[in-house]
Amino acid sequence: MVEMEEGIQRLGRQDRSIANEVQKSVRERRPLTLRRVITNEYFLHVVSSAAFLYLWHEVAASGVFKGGLCTPWEVVVRFRGLLTDTLAGLTLWGHIGASAQRIAIGFVLASVVAIPLGLFMALNPYVNAVVKPVFDIFKPMPPIAWVSIAILWFGVGEESKIFIIIIGTFVPCLLNAYNGIRLIEPELYDVIKVLGGKRWNEILQVSFPASFPAIFAGLQISLSLAWTCVLAAELVASRSGLGFIIVQGMKFTDAALVIGGMVMIALVAWVSSLLIAGLEKLLCPWRRDIRDL
Amino acid sequence: MNPAASAPVKIDVRGLTKRFGDLLVLDNISFQVARGEFLAIVGPTGCGKTTFLNCLSKLIPTSEGDIFIDGRVADPRVHNISFVFQEPTCLPWRTVRENVAYGMELKRFPAEKIRERVDTMLGLVGLSETQHLYPNQVSASMVQRITVARAFAVDPDLLLMDEPYGQLDVKLRYYLEDELVKLWQTLKATVIFVTHNIEEAVYVAERILVLSNKPTRIKAEVKVDLPRPRNLIDPAFVAIRKEVTELIRWW
Ligand SMILES: Nc1ncnc2c1ncn2[C@@H]1O[C@H](COP(=O)(O)OP(=O)(O)O)[C@@H](O)[C@H]1O
Ligand SMILES: [Mg+2]
Repeated sequence: MVEMEEGIQRLGRQDRSIANEVQKSVRERRPLTLRRVITNEYFLHVVSSAAFLYLWHEVAASGVFKGGLCTPWEVVVRFRGLLTDTLAGLTLWGHIGASAQRIAIGFVLASVVAIPLGLFMALNPYVNAVVKPVFDIFKPMPPIAWVSIAILWFGVGEESKIFIIIIGTFVPCLLNAYNGIRLIEPELYDVIKVLGGKRWNEILQVSFPASFPAIFAGLQISLSLAWTCVLAAELVASRSGLGFIIVQGMKFTDAALVIGGMVMIALVAWVSSLLIAGLEKLLCPWRRDIRDL
Repeated sequence: MNPAASAPVKIDVRGLTKRFGDLLVLDNISFQVARGEFLAIVGPTGCGKTTFLNCLSKLIPTSEGDIFIDGRVADPRVHNISFVFQEPTCLPWRTVRENVAYGMELKRFPAEKIRERVDTMLGLVGLSETQHLYPNQVSASMVQRITVARAFAVDPDLLLMDEPYGQLDVKLRYYLEDELVKLWQTLKATVIFVTHNIEEAVYVAERILVLSNKPTRIKAEVKVDLPRPRNLIDPAFVAIRKEVTELIRWW
């Protein structure tokens, strides 16, 4: 038996500390070689990015797409100009601000309703039974499908755009809050039950904190959907915003404007997701040291 | 199946029966545990050990029979029952220290007492240095120590442990078993320790109940009257281990 052999090791083990150390980080020291530089992660990032820009430049310069493609540098020049010049009365900052404001309003409105509702649905079977059928009807509808009806209802002003963002972000916010609670290990509740705790102990001590990571995952998904939605709304009818810049570029066959608009959306969406990630770190300090989650 | 007459009866289980639908899992189990006794329960996997503890702790209702603590029907709101689950149950969002304090907070111990007792417990299980880390920053064995410390911290009437070291490798398990015995000796809790590991049971317990296969009954009771610290290759130890092994193998 294995246990027998192990048993021998057990003699005289009274004061042996095995499990007391904590490893915080490991760093290996190795000499700098050519091989290490070439296989370095950041080095490879730079190489692939440079190759991409070069390819883009060459294709644009060759003229296969005629006016439909411009070089990366032309995009930079075009947008540097927009920092001071105006397009339909707004500089680039103004357009970014217009889109960002729509997102912020729609996103906040959706999440303050959807997250509590998702939590309630997960915690209370009656709330779930009432809300779920209605929710299930709307769940599979792509938010873009709401653009036309939004314009019919709210016109071409801010309301219709915010409405579409709310529609688009509501579902993932709710679903993630709901699943965040559904997937909690039942033993965490059992600990409270055995110790004679009450239902509100379970909710405050376990349900809420345990659902935080899932809620933030939902916010991240919602945010990228919000950018999709705002773009769709601005493409259809708008006088401002990054979507509007793209439409203008299309109207005047200004490739630099279209491509630049696309790049700006990617940049701003990335920055906003960093903000959410930062907020999560602030609110969930226990997750700070977990990688790849 | 009475414990040594010297100590008063703390836990009295009478005719405990549990069915899931038609499946009879626990069949009329009766036994007693003395105050401050360390009782181990061994049985084959799937025989109903976890179900048994769930009944004792009132997490699930019994079909028949009941459990009495100090002569009263066990009730988590009245009695102080602690449970170390098979699965890790540390709260990831609490630091090591806050996790150890968690049980006492739920039991509404005064803040001053919690602070004092957490310090004591952290010292006893060697977690003082890591008290401000989060569970995901410490090793698996430390996580199990946190839950053991948390369970002892509330000064329980009854401490239930469900294969707490089943997932750990052998060396760590040995170390933690010693620690457990030390905690039990220092804090004088009444412990029911469930395991499928016979050697572990003989090492930690004063008395062992051997369970049969389903429908589960108590098949035998074995006293472990060995001095501590116990020696795994002591012939007396080996004899008891073999005796229990035979009892289990018997079906
Ligand atoms: N909630 C349940 N419903 C139906 N059967 C169950 C339930 N819980 C446990 N059982 C059955 O009871 C038996 C004992 O399970 P368990 O107590 O987990 O065993 P052990 O902890 O000894 O491995 C198993 O056969 C299992 O299928
Ligand atoms: Mg079990």
